[in-house]
Amino acid sequence: MMWRKTALRKGFLVMLSLLAACYEDPYDVTLHEAHVYKGGEDVHHAAAAWQNDQLRKRFREVQTDR
Amino acid sequence: MARMKFLCDEERCIECNACVTACKNEHEVPWGINRRRVITVDDGLPGEKTISVACMHCTDAPCMAVCPVDCFYTTDEGVVLHDKDLCIGCGYCFYACPFGAPQYPQQGAFGARGKMDKCTFCAGGPEEDNSPAEFRKYGRNRLAEGKLPLCAEMCSTKALLAGDADVVADVFRERVVRRAGNDNPDLNRRRQGNPWGWETAYKDSR
Repeated sequence: MMWRKTALRKGFLVMLSLLAACYEDPYDVTLHEAHVYKGGEDVHHAAAAWQNDQLRKRFREVQTDR
Repeated sequence: MARMKFLCDEERCIECNACVTACKNEHEVPWGINRRRVITVDDGLPGEKTISVACMHCTDAPCMAVCPVDCFYTTDEGVVLHDKDLCIGCGYCFYACPFGAPQYPQQGAFGARGKMDKCTFCAGGPEEDNSPAEFRKYGRNRLAEGKLPLCAEMCSTKALLAGDADVVADVFRERVVRRAGNDNPDLNRRRQGNPWGWETAYKDSR
């Protein structure tokens, strides 16, 4: 009878030690800023200034009134 | 930095649908999706007006405000784009958009929605410029090549303008000034109604 109680206590201690690693830190969560883009960065090869000039030139060439 | 905008001149649009065709062809848009549409206001009535509508790349975009996964972003040129890898196809942006721009391909049985698709101002998406992945998901990236959206470049009457908002506004202002002295009642917007605006969208709401 005695050895059963000891075994149960030991088992309980083993279970406790195993579960001890499974706790959840309430402060360790990933919070997302609302309305902040979450996707990949849109990298442009062309320099912004070059593209700006090019697009303005293109507009004058293609879309102005005939 | 330029702020890219579309503007459709309703006095010039002849409802040829070339912009729609050009867009579909350039980006190989899937069947059932029209990134650009030509609509007629007061069809069949005197003074009917036709305009070409797509994503207007709003400065304060409502689609961006309602997206639960925050997949929208605005480029340096003011173009509103989205990341299809993040999109969950919830449809919130569809209900928020006043222009009906966001559309969804039907995927699978029971009309399940796929990733949202909309006009990109021919600016692709977050993938590498002109990469196969970008083309597959968003279509061609003409802006990276120094070109403007094909729908506007194709427009035979120059009704649809696309470019830097300041330049587009200058062109349109010149046109309006030139039309001011015209006696043609069709050009009298006050009498015929303006296809862009609150009164047209909501009619007499009293």
